[in-house]
Amino acid sequence: MVRFEDVSFRYGTSANVLSSLTFHLEPGSFHFMLGASGAGKSSLLQLMYLWQKPTEGRISLFGRDVAELSRDEKALMRRRIGVVFQDFRLLDHLSALDNVALPLRVAGRRSAALDEHVAELLTWVGLGDHIEAKPPTLSGGQQQRIAIARAVIARPSLLLADEPTGNVDDRLALRLLYLFEELNKMGTTVVIATHNEHLIQRFSHPVIRLAGGDTIPAPELRREAERQHFGEA
Amino acid sequence: MLLAHRDVPLDKDPSARFLPWLIAFMVYLAALALAGAIAVSNLTERWDRGLSDQMTVQVPPPRGEENAMLQSERVAAALETLRGERGVRTAEVVDDAEMAALLEPWLGEAGIREDLPLPALIAVEVVPGNPPDSERLEGMLQAAAPGVVVEDHQRTLGRFLAVTQSLQLLALLVVGLVAGAAVLSVVFVTRTGLAVHRQVIELLHLIGARDNYIAGQFQRQALKLGLAGGLIGVGLAGGTILVLGQVFATSESVVVPELALSLRQWLLLVLVPPATALVAMATARWTVLRTLARLS
Repeated sequence: MVRFEDVSFRYGTSANVLSSLTFHLEPGSFHFMLGASGAGKSSLLQLMYLWQKPTEGRISLFGRDVAELSRDEKALMRRRIGVVFQDFRLLDHLSALDNVALPLRVAGRRSAALDEHVAELLTWVGLGDHIEAKPPTLSGGQQQRIAIARAVIARPSLLLADEPTGNVDDRLALRLLYLFEELNKMGTTVVIATHNEHLIQRFSHPVIRLAGGDTIPAPELRREAERQHFGEA
Repeated sequence: MLLAHRDVPLDKDPSARFLPWLIAFMVYLAALALAGAIAVSNLTERWDRGLSDQMTVQVPPPRGEENAMLQSERVAAALETLRGERGVRTAEVVDDAEMAALLEPWLGEAGIREDLPLPALIAVEVVPGNPPDSERLEGMLQAAAPGVVVEDHQRTLGRFLAVTQSLQLLALLVVGLVAGAAVLSVVFVTRTGLAVHRQVIELLHLIGARDNYIAGQFQRQALKLGLAGGLIGVGLAGGTILVLGQVFATSESVVVPELALSLRQWLLLVLVPPATALVAMATARWTVLRTLARLS
């Protein structure tokens, strides 16, 4: 599903944010990614959703070397990836419904029936009364839930979430994580970056720990992947 | 298609307000340039209709006192020569009343004074497609009546046609320049839109939008603005042409062109807004695809 081979990444001429990462995430797996602020969690996710190119090494997604993809192929691959951005990235001029329906529209799958499905999902995340609301009129937590709904609406094969529970209370955070689990049970590979160690202790999924700084302890990451492979928590 | 969902909020851009007026102004200029070319073409046709297959022979009066007889002999000799020429269908002397009418615009209604040394004019109708060679004919007439001048209208008209063709080419050049400026405006506005909405476009890419989808957002907007601009421009140009047509028609001058469009020409004018819209749409699409392709 996701394969990193000796991948390093840095912004411009600065020091490496990620160094010599090698790991493989199996299809249908569920991983938490833990690390302090600046440890490289967001950069790793950006590499996974094809927004950044590795400085060195090779990344394969869904069995394809991403360096060989054309622009159109990248677009099609991104449709299989749901992303919850840390800063939500909602479109302020669109309603909550239209924001969530965006991936369907982009993929040419928008219809009245799907609109009902979008409304149901918004109700499920507690925003049934705000379907027509524009993001600037909603709280941070409400915006985050729209972002999550948008990421999962198209039932992606790979779900990447960057601090998806950062702006919601623990009760709702748990509920959202259960939603991710449900998706995972249906076959979606899930990677959730978070710094909330307390929350993820309630789950038995393997943890990728990023130590931060300009080098990433690749062996540790490999070990986590191995632990996941052998069913350890 | 115009009501399709707008993921990129281009409607709120300042360009959405000024681009239609910019396009309208350019369409207005282009339409007037074309109308000018049509007016010149109408004038040429009118002159061509009036002067084709005709020549005028001038028989100037001889110098001296007792020349009334001589002048009539000269005219008779010229007529005889003309009527004996195979390429000449008819040759008639322009009578005094007709001469007075011709000279009235310059000499007024007082009429022609008898002592005014005017040439006799012979209106010649030539055989269509087989006119006599005007230089050879002038030579023969000179032999019969020295001082006779042949005015070949086709030769004059030919020179006039060259001038009008140049004017028409100039009008087309103006249309081309205006169209080029309109295209550049759309390119500039589209690039500005891409820069202003960079974050929205990034997000669309991140959730799997192809470049075609992004281009679709811009091309729909350009189509709408181009159509609005085209309609305004053509509406204003149509009004101007109608008003100028009325003004020109009342002038009753042979040198003022007739500014009246035919039904076909009006239909062509009506096609300008959709054509403008399509050009704007294609330009926006091309600009977006080209700009996004550079990002990879």
